[in-house]
Amino acid sequence: MSKIKIKLDGKEIVADSTKTILQIAEENGIQIPTLCYNQKVSRTTSCFVCVVKDVKTGRFLPSCSSCPIDGQEIESSSDEVSDMRKTALELLLSEHAGDCEAPCTVACPAHANVEEYVRAGRKGDFLESLKIIKERIPLPMSIGRVCPRFCEKDCRKNVTGKPVAINDFKRLAADMYYKSYMEELPPLTGKKVAVVGAGPAGLSTAYYLRRNGIESVVYDKMPKPGGMLRYGIPEYRLPKAILDTELAHFTKMGITFECNRKLGDNLSMQELKDNFDAIAVTIGCWKPGSMRCEGEEFAVQGIEWLEKIALADWSGDNPGKVIVVGGGNTAMDCVRTSVRLGSPDVNCFYRRTEAEMPAEQIEIDEAREEGVKFSFLTAPVKLRKAAEKLIMTCIKMELGEPDASGRRRPVPIEGSEYDVEADCVIAAIGQKTDAPTDLRTNKWGDIDVCEDTYHLEENVFAAGDCVTGAATVVEGVAGGRKIALGIVDFLTGSKHEPEYQINVSRGHWRSLADEDLVYLRSDVSEEPRVALEFIPLDERKTTFKEVCETLPREKMMAEGERCIECSCTAKGDCKLKKFSEEYAASPEAIKGEKIKSGYDNRHPVIIHDRNKCIKCGICVKVCKEVVNANLLSAKQRGFSTKVETAFGQQLPISCKDCGKCISECPVGALDWKIKE
Amino acid sequence: MQEHYDYLKKIDKDPSNLIKGLQAVQASEGYVSDESIKAVAAYFSLPIVEVEGVLSFYAQFKRNKPGKFHICVCDGTACHIKGSTLILDWISTELGINDGETDEKGLFSLETVACLGCCSLAPVLSINGKVYGNLDRKGTVKILREYRAK
Amino acid sequence: MNISDKITRIRVGTASCGIAAGADEVLELIKKNAGNIPVEEVGCIGHCYAEPLVDIETVDGVVSFSHVPATEKGVANLLSLSSEGRFSVPEGRKAKELHKVIRLAGRICPTSYDEYVANGGYEGLCNALAMQPDEVVGEVKKSGLRGRGGGGFPTGMKWGFLAAKKAEQKILICNADEGDPGAFMDRSLMESVPHQVLEGMLIAAYATGATKIFIYCRAEYPLAIKHLQIAIEQIYARKLNDLNGRSLEIIVKEGAGAFVCGEETALIHSLEGKRGTPRFRPPFPTDSGWKEWPTMINNVETFGNVPLIIAEGGEKYAETGTEGSKGTKLFALAGDLKYPGLVEVPMGTTLAEIVFEIGGADPENVKAVQTGGPSGGCIPVELFDTPVDYDSLRSLGAIMGSGGMIVIGKNRCMVETARYFLDFTHRESCGKCTFCRIGTKRMFETLERIVGGNGVPEDLDFLEDMGNKIRKGSLCGLGQTAPNPVLATLRYFRNEYEAHVLKHQCEALICNALVDVKLEQSNCIKCKLCIKNCPVDAVSDDFIIDNNKCTRCNTCIEVCPKNTIFRVKKGEGFYSE
Repeated sequence: MSKIKIKLDGKEIVADSTKTILQIAEENGIQIPTLCYNQKVSRTTSCFVCVVKDVKTGRFLPSCSSCPIDGQEIESSSDEVSDMRKTALELLLSEHAGDCEAPCTVACPAHANVEEYVRAGRKGDFLESLKIIKERIPLPMSIGRVCPRFCEKDCRKNVTGKPVAINDFKRLAADMYYKSYMEELPPLTGKKVAVVGAGPAGLSTAYYLRRNGIESVVYDKMPKPGGMLRYGIPEYRLPKAILDTELAHFTKMGITFECNRKLGDNLSMQELKDNFDAIAVTIGCWKPGSMRCEGEEFAVQGIEWLEKIALADWSGDNPGKVIVVGGGNTAMDCVRTSVRLGSPDVNCFYRRTEAEMPAEQIEIDEAREEGVKFSFLTAPVKLRKAAEKLIMTCIKMELGEPDASGRRRPVPIEGSEYDVEADCVIAAIGQKTDAPTDLRTNKWGDIDVCEDTYHLEENVFAAGDCVTGAATVVEGVAGGRKIALGIVDFLTGSKHEPEYQINVSRGHWRSLADEDLVYLRSDVSEEPRVALEFIPLDERKTTFKEVCETLPREKMMAEGERCIECSCTAKGDCKLKKFSEEYAASPEAIKGEKIKSGYDNRHPVIIHDRNKCIKCGICVKVCKEVVNANLLSAKQRGFSTKVETAFGQQLPISCKDCGKCISECPVGALDWKIKE
Repeated sequence: MQEHYDYLKKIDKDPSNLIKGLQAVQASEGYVSDESIKAVAAYFSLPIVEVEGVLSFYAQFKRNKPGKFHICVCDGTACHIKGSTLILDWISTELGINDGETDEKGLFSLETVACLGCCSLAPVLSINGKVYGNLDRKGTVKILREYRAK
Repeated sequence: MNISDKITRIRVGTASCGIAAGADEVLELIKKNAGNIPVEEVGCIGHCYAEPLVDIETVDGVVSFSHVPATEKGVANLLSLSSEGRFSVPEGRKAKELHKVIRLAGRICPTSYDEYVANGGYEGLCNALAMQPDEVVGEVKKSGLRGRGGGGFPTGMKWGFLAAKKAEQKILICNADEGDPGAFMDRSLMESVPHQVLEGMLIAAYATGATKIFIYCRAEYPLAIKHLQIAIEQIYARKLNDLNGRSLEIIVKEGAGAFVCGEETALIHSLEGKRGTPRFRPPFPTDSGWKEWPTMINNVETFGNVPLIIAEGGEKYAETGTEGSKGTKLFALAGDLKYPGLVEVPMGTTLAEIVFEIGGADPENVKAVQTGGPSGGCIPVELFDTPVDYDSLRSLGAIMGSGGMIVIGKNRCMVETARYFLDFTHRESCGKCTFCRIGTKRMFETLERIVGGNGVPEDLDFLEDMGNKIRKGSLCGLGQTAPNPVLATLRYFRNEYEAHVLKHQCEALICNALVDVKLEQSNCIKCKLCIKNCPVDAVSDDFIIDNNKCTRCNTCIEVCPKNTIFRVKKGEGFYSE
């Protein structure tokens, strides 16, 4: 061993010339990323993620294999070196085929760990399920009932049939354990935050603040908290007793509510700034959109109408013949509420076709079952009063070229006007933010926050509908969590979550066939999706009773067997993902053919997914040099190189007692099938 | 070891002769079958998977039985710029097989090779090792028809 | 005196190129008709375009015949020493070539030890054995010889490294895995003068104390292997391999088809019976090589130079060539030129001299020359006054490589040429290093897109950036040089790339996706050959080619007796509805 002098990132170092640059850097506190280097086996020098630059020669060296020479000047942290590492990672990502995260979790606006809570449910552990859900979704009772199920739309099970009934796991888990389960709460830090608006976003903000030790007071303009959950979503979809149960938990956590306080009215920003360390504005969208037609004032506004009925505890007069104008979820709430109030003739007028309706299909179907009639390609032109009735002049539309939203623009057909008569016309056209004048807004009238951090100014943050425009409960909840963590960082100087996360995906399920799906279990259920259990139709049409029941435990456990568990087995410990995030390498940066060497799930407990292999050769060497079993070898060459057993046979059963290659695999190419 | 593989016995059992052993198999059988891999692995006392790994690295080794007449179309630089892809097309059309395939009767098999080292006669092909140069379409088809008649 | 009495011997060139041109049949016929005249098979004299070549040795000197047809008449013609079909070396070649290494190629019987010795063979070895080993190394150092395999590392220095090693076994390897598509210098030397190459190895073994010699030869060179093996037996029989007090083993091993095995460490792995993947250096092979013994690898042509050096002395040898590159260099000339073949010129000869004067290429029709095969680069005709030596070529983004030199005519597409090289290298990548394994694949895919008419301007930036990174981020020579053809063409022929990605045009009308086929009706004689031969029925009964059906296979163009069918720019051909 001889001591030499080198310069590493500008620092003079006395180094052992028999050690590699990687080892020396490590000893000096400089971390160099590497995927193929493993102390347990002889080196391969293949990944080139560990490159450093020899300043004098201008050459790039793999630091895992290069030993320094006296007087060498080495760069490990320069932009040029980082760029080389990033490109190496992007090249590896470009051939890497798999799903880092399950598409359901990616699709969920709150990124709840769907696969994990479904798995817990499958095993019958719904308490565990609830715990996982509440990491991301603090309102599982509500969301378990009203969510439009983004997750299910991207579920890989769509390839072979209907998606897993994911949302019903939330509902069941919450119904079973919500009351009894209490999160472990850290001690309070002494910081205090004001949350303005007790809707989904505000509740979520308060919840995640408290889970991070920060106390909050939630203000709301209405007499009771809940926002649109209480005053917008009808009782038959979300019974208010359930909502009360859900909200009681917040109080139990020490969150306080102050109702009948409206920002810009009897509550001022200044007052909040004076009394709190930070302010979260989550005031929602409460201003109705316009029908933009003559005589609009004769119509009632959908959200205002629903609010009135909500305040009357879901009771009201029979509205007579009803026409609801609009095609969104609020329109569906209005028609179905009209049915329940006894209207004999409920109509929905929409200017495009059913395919373009923003409302959830299930809402449309259920409305139709309940007797609602739909008139598509119909728009109001004029509304007038005649005697006790309203006369609406409508015009027929046809679909033209797609507009900015990608939907085909409805165009009026000249001369197609006609009149219809109604007792009540309800406009359900959309909602807008009603922001107090001292909050900065954008051109849509929404609060103008920083896109990444949702930070507005100084110690003010905003989230939810008032930032995004009217959206879903789960999106509101996701926004609330985001600003809660932002506020925690702001108040404590901590740093939440990596700034940059990557997700490699096999692509949308529409582009996949059954053989592209990776099955970890041989007993994935091919039974049809569990059916919802509705109350009798008569009861649905005449009462505000919840339309369907929570599905029973046994049925949901069986439903869980349908889950393919498509996320990567190594998602917690994948070095490729870790370094890619560190170097901001993107899976989309370089496009090209992916590996197509298939996966092998024949072994009872081991999955060998060659599509994820980065050819570091560690497994081959571990099996040869450490275990002395020689079961694997690289085959072919170049881009087609793959690691395989002799003649591609199944790994021996005895591998279950070794697994040394699995623990050294830097990605998820060789792994245990069972996910913990 | 089976008698069938007696020809291996001429080769020293040192693992460094593995490629030589595989070449001997291919020279004798025309390709390397699973059975041969097992025999070679046993002969050199090497794991089967390692033999397969080595074998699959080198372009020379065939894992499928070639036709009676094995056609190699040179795609070296000179041949390429002189139209070797067209030659390949013409042969494919004439014989109804693509690169890497053997016809149903086992008469012809076709592959492209890196360079036959006869660049000055480009474009060239070889059939069972015999090289034909300065090819055009007519000449190529004529050669194939002569072989078919054999 | 009867004409046939004048003839003392007949030499038929039966190296691979000769055989490919029909020399075997010619040889049979000559043997049948030559009576008692001895008929010898000899190697290649380098004039491949003229094969089959037959030299008739007569009492009055040698008479050569080219393009000898394999017919009774043709053979009778040459046996009568007719004035028809005689061959003479083109003036340009006579003037510019300097035959030192290949001076005996094609003149002597490759498998005759005696003939080699009679022509000065093994003088070098005799001289060497009279010297101390370190003196031999010193002589090679003095000669300034640099590795002819492509890298250009000073040979004497390498010998010195191995000579300095104390080990029970030292290994000498002759790299005869000539993998560049388009290069055949090594094949020609081994086929034509195997003893000369072996003599070089024996001298090296003596100088370095090597105990074993491997010749790692392409399996595609059966004749070279055969001649080497015969020569080795002759050496064994004469105990010429008894050097350094023991009997030296000389083993010919056949490569198995992997370009990357031209790389030292990959070659060693292959000789060990393993996958031919390179490994990180150090340790260098001279420290730890074949089975961890000190090992030195030289190329065939390098060894071919050694006997001359020791025979005439290093200083004398160094008189030829340039400051940094001594001696002569063999080139395999091919492509768009009149006299393709093997040439030997002094280092420092310009590209123009080689391509135009020696190769007889038409200056009006040459666009570029590709040196160094898939590892090299294209040099545009404007730079043809560049002297050929290691350093000048490198400064142009090309490399000397092993000596392949492909002349590229104006009617070729440089983008397609680059795509071709990348197709080769990405398939030859051993698959170990990320940059080479995936990067070359991505570059190839991008080039495929461009020649397929789907390129976008950003593709050019990507090619440049990725090319530079692959160069910097690869372990071995294959990866480090793989992007060269693309980077060099981007540097000198960017306009062609731009035409492909901006205008979706291929000026050379090579890229099928950017080309239509059109029949010029005015000159058509309606012979219907095109209709009959079209594999996809794209030619209508009234002689219109439907470009919707046409696969651009060129068959109609080939068969048309009046040359009325052309490739034209995309959009200029007819398309059915």
